[in-house]
Amino acid sequence: MKSKNFLTALLILVVMFAFTSSVYAGGKVYKLGMSLAITGPTSDAGNPYAKGTEDYFKFVNETKILGDDTIECTIRDDQYKTDVTKRNFEEYLDDGIVMYLNYSTGSTLGLKRDFEEEQIAVLPASYHAGNLDDSNYIFLPIASYSDQLVILAEYVAKNHKGGKAKVALFVHPSAFGRGPVSDVEKAVVAGLNIELVEVVEHGKDLDNTAMLKRLMSKKVQYVISQTVQSPVATMIKDSQRLGLTASSFGEAGKITFLGAHYTGGNDLIALAGTAAENYFWTTGFNITSVPGEKTTKQLALAKLFGRDEKAANSHNYAAGIMVAQVATEAIRRAKAAGLEVNKANLYKMLNGMNGANAYSPYTTSGPVTYSKTDRMGVDLLQIYSVQGGVFKAVGEALESEYMKKIK
Amino acid sequence: MSYFFQIVVSGIVVGSIYALAALGLVLVYKSSRVANFAHGQIIAAGAFITYYLSVSLGVPIFFSFLASMIITFFLAMSVERIFLRKLIGEPIISVIMVTIGLGSILDGLIYLTPFGSENFSFPAFLPQEPLSLGGVSISWTQLVGVIVTFILIGGLSWFFKKSTIGISMRAVSDDQFASMSVGISVPKVFGLAWALAGLSAAAAGCIIGNITGLNFDTLHAFGIIVFPVIILGGLDSILGAVVAGIIIGLIQQFSSGYLDGNFGLKGTGDVMPYIILVVVLFFKPHGLFGIHEIERV
Repeated sequence: MKSKNFLTALLILVVMFAFTSSVYAGGKVYKLGMSLAITGPTSDAGNPYAKGTEDYFKFVNETKILGDDTIECTIRDDQYKTDVTKRNFEEYLDDGIVMYLNYSTGSTLGLKRDFEEEQIAVLPASYHAGNLDDSNYIFLPIASYSDQLVILAEYVAKNHKGGKAKVALFVHPSAFGRGPVSDVEKAVVAGLNIELVEVVEHGKDLDNTAMLKRLMSKKVQYVISQTVQSPVATMIKDSQRLGLTASSFGEAGKITFLGAHYTGGNDLIALAGTAAENYFWTTGFNITSVPGEKTTKQLALAKLFGRDEKAANSHNYAAGIMVAQVATEAIRRAKAAGLEVNKANLYKMLNGMNGANAYSPYTTSGPVTYSKTDRMGVDLLQIYSVQGGVFKAVGEALESEYMKKIK
Repeated sequence: MSYFFQIVVSGIVVGSIYALAALGLVLVYKSSRVANFAHGQIIAAGAFITYYLSVSLGVPIFFSFLASMIITFFLAMSVERIFLRKLIGEPIISVIMVTIGLGSILDGLIYLTPFGSENFSFPAFLPQEPLSLGGVSISWTQLVGVIVTFILIGGLSWFFKKSTIGISMRAVSDDQFASMSVGISVPKVFGLAWALAGLSAAAAGCIIGNITGLNFDTLHAFGIIVFPVIILGGLDSILGAVVAGIIIGLIQQFSSGYLDGNFGLKGTGDVMPYIILVVVLFFKPHGLFGIHEIERV
């Protein structure tokens, strides 16, 4: 009797082992790493960004988009410190990641050489054009800050009435802010019909009265910003108080404010309130205040994983989803092509995302296209403006005309 | 001419708010000779407490503002009691290092809340239309900021000059051992100095938060931004903080208004205050109103 029980137990164990080992053999785990500012400076962007990435990878695994295979993306907070980012990246390499998701301009520039040495594809949250210089492995998710500023300047040139539009740039005192300035200047030299009157590098200003009055004395009608929301909010609140804000685009004798990706979104409205009205903003992402089938999917994802309304409606949440979507798509294509999912093949898959193979995620205003000579993902940028307290789309998504000329 | 006067008004407004933000640093230094590197976090905490009370709990904004000052009064007093009381008599550098660590702890605590990584703004409670006179305008937020600054600074100046506790605090600042020998409780004085610093920081946080919006990075940066103010004015002088705050505010605005964008210059609004600071310290190493101590050996 005892030996019969023993044999039965042994049989059950053998069956269980066979079953679990067959499941294990069917499902591969692809490791990815992400390092970003979930706390610390710029965490107002980094926090929802991380949530977007985390949620999308969970969704991929739960809905078996990759079959039995799963993605394991480790997300770590670097508090916007490049040394911590580097440490995270090195630990991820030891873990055997096949693709890396980075965040800031500083750390992307700082680790550029490491990415080259490791030959690993990197998707950062920084859209600084300089990330692409002397680099083969950094893939910008959307059009660069330079493209964003030039497209806003093009919009000004096309829609300004009466002579040449006088424009000032309001930029962050860093590579992130300064980077696009020279491209705007090149576009002007190439014939873009605006007069670039001044480039202002802001500090931690409590009051921009003197600057705004100075710009008015030089008859500046448009201020294009490349910074984060907080300084823009202070500036446009001052402008509203001084009665300088244009109530419609290009209103004579007033200033129309415009800005690139990180200057806008719901955070700007949260900080500036009614002063944000008529602010023009460009990004390569769809936003939930312009409802549609695509943004419904973003909201559904946020709901599925219990995100609050603020995160769900953040364009940074969309940006976080987007990089996860691109990574997932690269893995899916590698698998479909019968290739091993590794660093080299994912790099190859990303470079092949063009033409008929371009990838269209639901988060972006256009398709993601990469090649060996073009590592800027979404070329189409959508301009939005605040109307009645929310961002609304202005026309169709556009591609910068002058960036093509000056590249 | 209105351009000139607008810049003067803006300079005074900015300077007054700098003075209010710097006040807490002066109070702590005045009593304990310690530079508090956690001051920016207390400024931010004051603003967030006001926001939480008014928006999440529905307390009227004026009472939220008062309650926030009271809460930070006791919060700062508790911080002194828990972290710094045991360091009385220890080298100043040890205490300063503790304030740096304290700043990191407060950072971490705030990052655990939505205030650490989200942006907010106070509900509008003042008229949105600015006050204008002869082409010069000032917003109600700025005006209220200036008024609160001068009320607090006036009250504290009176407190230090006339009240027994205030005079005790000055005595402790001059000589801790001599003060103890005449029966002054040095720990209580330190606690009170921190508490008053917390109270003024909350007021500064609310005013700055109303101007810039509630962003933690922006708010806590003011704890460092105002260091030139107290160095220029004299580390232990309330009057110095006011005068230096206004000087720096005016220099920033005039540099930005008349130098930036002209003669190939830019960013002078940020640099000029430091240039003036260096020049002034060259002639007055203790700041404009700082006490030049002479020790007999």
